[in-house]
Amino acid sequence: MTETTRGNGRTPAAALAAFVLVQGIAAAFFISDAAHDLSHGFGNMESLSELFISLVLVAGIFLASWQLRRMISEIKDKDRALAVARGNFARVIATQFTDWGLTPAERDVGLFALKGLDVAEIAALRGAATGTVRAQLARIYAKAGVSNRAQFAAFFVEELLADGAPDT
Amino acid sequence: MAGPHPENGNGGAIAPPDPWDPLVRFSHWGIAAAVIANGLLTKPGGTLHVWIGWVAIGILAARLVWGLVGPAEARFSAFPPDPRAAISHVLSLFRPGGPREHPSHNPAAAMMVYALWLCLVVVIGTGLVMTDAKSPLQISQERAAVAAGDWSVLVNDDGESEGGGEDHDESGELVKEVHEVAANLMLILALVHVAGVAVESRALRRNLVHPMLLGSGKGR
Ligand code: HEM
Ligand code: HEM
Repeated sequence: MTETTRGNGRTPAAALAAFVLVQGIAAAFFISDAAHDLSHGFGNMESLSELFISLVLVAGIFLASWQLRRMISEIKDKDRALAVARGNFARVIATQFTDWGLTPAERDVGLFALKGLDVAEIAALRGAATGTVRAQLARIYAKAGVSNRAQFAAFFVEELLADGAPDT
Repeated sequence: MAGPHPENGNGGAIAPPDPWDPLVRFSHWGIAAAVIANGLLTKPGGTLHVWIGWVAIGILAARLVWGLVGPAEARFSAFPPDPRAAISHVLSLFRPGGPREHPSHNPAAAMMVYALWLCLVVVIGTGLVMTDAKSPLQISQERAAVAAGDWSVLVNDDGESEGGGEDHDESGELVKEVHEVAANLMLILALVHVAGVAVESRALRRNLVHPMLLGSGKGR
């Protein structure tokens, strides 16, 4: 099982992560030197170029982090496609909920909603007021970028068809 | 927040990432190694101590950037500091159902993470004050110069020699005190942290350390 998902872009991601950390360390040293020089007099070419390089270093950290995040989300997409192909739908839903940043309570409610329970049933199961559940559903839809329950469920059906279906 | 959790017991559908992303893993072990080395092994204030401290600064900075731009579960928003949730999480350890799963650090772990980072920031800040924010390179150069008999490097730019006025001495003493207390607090918290990982691993019947190392290889 593991061989199929190991590899799959994990090694480059690890290398890039190590690189970001080294960048952070290098930036700490360089920026402190630059700050010392600046405190001795501002305006000469050297201190200006150090200031410039410091900014570039910091921008580099953000850019490399952003790139790393994209690599990681590609790895996740591949894993998800694999999970869908294997019929591991619970995992697909869990990962998607995490990507949307649902709170634990929202995840419970979202899962009940996907299972087809209505607001009153969810409220009874959770021992909560229906108003609370309604508000939670509204927040879930907002985070998922959909406007009602049908679209919410359709999101996952689409996922199943898009990734799980054999390429044509 | 009580109530049934449909996802507990069906194979742990929500769970922290396994493995954690490489930046979280590497920065964790980098920081842990630096803290243990500086807290227990290196000569306090020695060149090596300051070198390691600076490495920790860089790693922490990268991790904090990651907390803003990283994947969902590594972002601060995935584990907001929430003392009440932390307490109810700890209490849930003693209840029959056990703790619930969380997509990132659980609320108790989250409080610990912020406490550790805060201690580290204080330790780093006071360390920088004690060394006038000089980089370890500058410090070793100065020390080499002093060893060679050139004491002039110890004279500050404003003409005051190191440890000059009374005020300076007293506040210097205080900064040193804070550095030491925060460092020791951090080491104690780290012990509690490791104990917490062990307890939580038992309660969830799942090794939490594997995902921080290489990933357990399970669950896929
Ligand atoms: C990485 C985390 C760090 C830990 C756990 C740590 C821990 C400690 C401890 C336990 C002491 C002994 C305090 C005493 O007995 O007076 C000490 C001293 C010292 N540390 Fe750190 N430290 C860290 C980072 C730093 C950094 C980043 C710097 C400077 C940039 C620094 C500079 C110093 C100095 C100059 C002393 C000597 C204080 C003195 O006795 O005059 N430390 N540190
Ligand atoms: C001085 C030592 C240590 C410090 C300062 C420290 C600090 C931290 C921090 C800041 C995090 C959050 C990671 C992040 O999101 O970036 C964390 C998580 C974690 N640490 Fe440590 N740690 C230390 C030692 C250890 C040790 C020795 C172990 C293994 C037994 C360990 C196991 C873990 C685990 C498993 C997590 C993830 C917890 C979770 O699943 O929510 N740590 N630690």
